[in-house]
Amino acid sequence: MGLFHKDKKHDDGEAPNVEHFFDEYFQEELRNHGRWYFEKVISENGTIFKQELEGTIERINTELKERIDAQLDASVAQINTNIEEHINNRLDAQFVEYAKVVKEAQDAALASLNKSAQAVLDQNTQLSTTLQSSIQSQEEALKKSSEQNLARLEEMKASQDAALEKLTAGAKAVEEQYQNLSADLEKRVAEQEEMRVDAFKDNMAKIIEHYLLGALGDQYDMKAQLPSIIAQLETNKQAIVDDMQL
Amino acid sequence: MSGTGLKPYTEFILPPNVVSKLDVSHLVAEAERADNELTAEAVGEKIGSYEHPELVISDQLKSFLEQNSIKLDNSHDRSELITQLRLLKDKVPVVHMTFAVIADRESLQQLIEWFRASVHPQVVIEAGLQPSLVAGVYLRTPNHVHDLSLRAALDGRHGALVEELEALYVGK
Repeated sequence: MGLFHKDKKHDDGEAPNVEHFFDEYFQEELRNHGRWYFEKVISENGTIFKQELEGTIERINTELKERIDAQLDASVAQINTNIEEHINNRLDAQFVEYAKVVKEAQDAALASLNKSAQAVLDQNTQLSTTLQSSIQSQEEALKKSSEQNLARLEEMKASQDAALEKLTAGAKAVEEQYQNLSADLEKRVAEQEEMRVDAFKDNMAKIIEHYLLGALGDQYDMKAQLPSIIAQLETNKQAIVDDMQL
Repeated sequence: MSGTGLKPYTEFILPPNVVSKLDVSHLVAEAERADNELTAEAVGEKIGSYEHPELVISDQLKSFLEQNSIKLDNSHDRSELITQLRLLKDKVPVVHMTFAVIADRESLQQLIEWFRASVHPQVVIEAGLQPSLVAGVYLRTPNHVHDLSLRAALDGRHGALVEELEALYVGK
């Protein structure tokens, strides 16, 4: 701005032609030119600064990523190592504990098995003794039962002989009953036959009577019947009179 | 019985056309009607303002009055007649006769004449119908029944019928 600043020394001592060149118009041109130049420089520097800034940011990002990856890998490796050691330690401790417990259980089971085996052995001994005595008693009972069965068989044989005799007598009685029944049946059949013949005769008479009644009933009117009715009344006159005079 | 000379009901003669107890009831009703009409006529004559039609009576009542020589002129006689007819209706002897066919009036009159000539002069008939009798009559008196039908006649003769049939069969 100092270029366009008016110097009082020159105003005081220089010629008026110099002032003629630095009139208002020219000053304005110079100002515009300076303004344009200043904007151009600012723009160029801004572009360069922006490019450099972008490059710097990109480089910083790359480096930052690389560093983070490296640190993350290292941390993960460290954590894995720590976890593996911790798990191994815990597993070892658990294995030791389990082995101890298993050993104690095995010892207890072995003791129990030994005890049970001894008890089974004792029971076997007792059972053998009991079985032996039982077999002896069964043999005695069987022998006794066999003797009793033999006696019963003898009794049954005697009973069968008696039943056979009764059956023979019964068969004779049945034969006699059969003969009597046969004779009775023949007699009843003859009676039934006679009854049926009688019934047939009776029914035949009824049929003929029915036919006669049907045939005669249509033939007689009241006037035709009247002489016969009066004749019958005359026959029963005395009985009617006696009843009416009671 | 009565001081008017009217016969008691036991001496009434019933004409042949009075057959049943219903006919006797008709006689009573008609006698009452005649009495009412004749009484009204007598009253009308006394006041002189009543013209009556001629009294019409049935053949049954007419025959009854003729056979028993009864006149209806006297009011007291009419009342006594009604009383005696009512007694007759209650006391008349009844025979129940069941026929195989419908009994016509003429036949019933012949029967009632026989009954009144032979059994009782005042008897009446209550007629019934039973076709299964075939022919004849089923008679019921106060204490007995008399089955005079053809069916009853044949009922006791089965044996004879069978014998005749067997004879007919053997002869064939």
